[in-house]
Amino acid sequence: MSQRRVLIRGALGAALAATLLAGAGPVRADANKPVIALLPGVVDPFYFTMRRGAEQAAKETGSELLFQIPKAWNTAEQVPILKALIAKHPDVLVIAPVDKTQLIQPLKEAADAGIKVITVDTFIGTGKYRTGAGNADFPYSYVASDNVEGGRIAAKALAKAVGDKGAVYIENNKPGISSTDQRMQGFQEEMKNHPDIKLLETQYNEDDANRAAAHVGAVLARTPDLAGIFAANTFSGKGAAAGVKNAGKTGAVKVVTFDAVPGIDADLKSGLVDIAVAQKPSEMGYMGVKYAADLARGKTVPALFGTGFVVMDKSNVDDPEVHKFIYSN
Amino acid sequence: MATSSSARLERLALVGRLWPWLFLCALVAFFECWSQVRVGRSFIGSLYNVQAILLAASAPLMLAIGQTFVIITAGIDLSVGFIMGLAAVCVAQFLGLGGPGGLSLAITLVATVAICALPGWVNGMLIARLGVPAFIGTLGMYGVARGAGFLAAGSGMTVPVDHAGLAWIGTGWTPVVITGVLLAAMHFVLSQTRFGQYTYAIGGNQQSAARAGIDVRRHLVQVYMLSAAFAACGGILYTARYGAGAANAGESLLLDSIAAVVIGGASLFGGTGNLVGSLIGALIIAVIQFGLIFIDVNAFWQFIAVGAVIVLSVLIDQAKDKLGNAS
Repeated sequence: MSQRRVLIRGALGAALAATLLAGAGPVRADANKPVIALLPGVVDPFYFTMRRGAEQAAKETGSELLFQIPKAWNTAEQVPILKALIAKHPDVLVIAPVDKTQLIQPLKEAADAGIKVITVDTFIGTGKYRTGAGNADFPYSYVASDNVEGGRIAAKALAKAVGDKGAVYIENNKPGISSTDQRMQGFQEEMKNHPDIKLLETQYNEDDANRAAAHVGAVLARTPDLAGIFAANTFSGKGAAAGVKNAGKTGAVKVVTFDAVPGIDADLKSGLVDIAVAQKPSEMGYMGVKYAADLARGKTVPALFGTGFVVMDKSNVDDPEVHKFIYSN
Repeated sequence: MATSSSARLERLALVGRLWPWLFLCALVAFFECWSQVRVGRSFIGSLYNVQAILLAASAPLMLAIGQTFVIITAGIDLSVGFIMGLAAVCVAQFLGLGGPGGLSLAITLVATVAICALPGWVNGMLIARLGVPAFIGTLGMYGVARGAGFLAAGSGMTVPVDHAGLAWIGTGWTPVVITGVLLAAMHFVLSQTRFGQYTYAIGGNQQSAARAGIDVRRHLVQVYMLSAAFAACGGILYTARYGAGAANAGESLLLDSIAAVVIGGASLFGGTGNLVGSLIGALIIAVIQFGLIFIDVNAFWQFIAVGAVIVLSVLIDQAKDKLGNAS
């Protein structure tokens, strides 16, 4: 009897769980209410800030917004979610592809199914869309920061902070991601204009702050007079700041981080981080969805839209016009 | 009285045996109803959906094939995810070797599986000859294979590859068919051959298996090599599907593969489990993940749902075992 009860209870539990899980709205084709799916790269404040901008644009344009997000930055995570979204047949898909090569084929599948594709933050192929060249020009628009320019801005800021001399290195997520690759490229290009600064080997932490912190310790062990670090994304920045602090080198090693995660204001004021180059993820989400709604209604959109940067430091972070660009969950 | 009670026990035992099937059917029925009512379209009646679910299931299932053998011997193989990544990178690198054209596809595939069977051999030697616990031995190999994969990928972590033959392997239904054929073959091996019998015997009781004349060490080494070889097949399919190899290809698939085997009724204490169960387990996970997105449920509920199913399946198996002891 008890075994049967276990089975019955299990079945009831599953049914109950299923009922609880329910609670989402219907999706039906409606010309006046375009359905737009947003699929960012990974769970982090940057993309949740993007989502808020996207929600605002959805409201303003009278669109319905679907939102799903991978738990890890990984093709094998993002593609099954992408396929499930394709099955829902949104009018437009707004995606931050996690790899510029591997996502081409899966996104082609969406395009072939009649779903218009816009990429935000990261791109596929070369990022130059609607050119008629290559196998990855089919998305309609790429909405993002000009990451090469962002890398240059970071390099200039770091060069100034270290007094234009000494050794610096780049703490980065991993190769193959369009956005961080371009930041590194811009940083390296700009550093050529600063011959007295020595650029050490780039360290890759695979989006793991702990590993980034460990890298700082190791680089410091080999190069005790390290002058600065450029952290190319959110988790690299968190880890680099923690690593410098662990080593007791706060202030001696200048940290320029990309992105402005929650708490960056405190880190800037305490000197843990010297400069933050903030992107505008909210604007990316907003413009991505706005373009998506335009596409769904038969309008044309530009193939590239740059969303710009805000450079934050101790002196300006309390200014409300700057402070509002800090990301939030 | 006795007959009616034993009839009832038999009925219960049947439910216990069939529950993963029943659960899978119930899941599909639930998503179908929901989809008809709220989305206005069929869930399982769409060929695209079926293909997407089978593709999503085939990736962890490829790892789960070898993992099922390992778990039946009361072991565990934590290194399969990164062996898969190593294989994904090897395929891409080999096809790019030697200028235009690179190595031929057949040589590449054989070389990849051979290279990736090596960490499996080391796993087996550590566990069978040197007595290292499987959890620790394969955890070590998890790190080694990971590092080797990143090194093999060179400066970039993804290695693009452009090869028509390889791309064909990764297109449409082909990965599903390949996984299905390999699964059927290994199901035969596990259920009908001496190799399969030895696997169960070692998992049931290693000492008595040895006393019965089975070369336990040799067999365990073979089982871990088999697991690594299937991880390599998973890596090949990954590179074929996405047109680029990546060292972290299987990182997120390891736990799904173990979950599939456990949901399928294998015990981590060894001696039980089969590949049909692992297939159902992989399908259940894929249907939940696809279905919850399809009905537009917050992504984090997927993790909770899969976690709940794993615990539920173990509870049901324990209830089943008690039932077995009572009768």
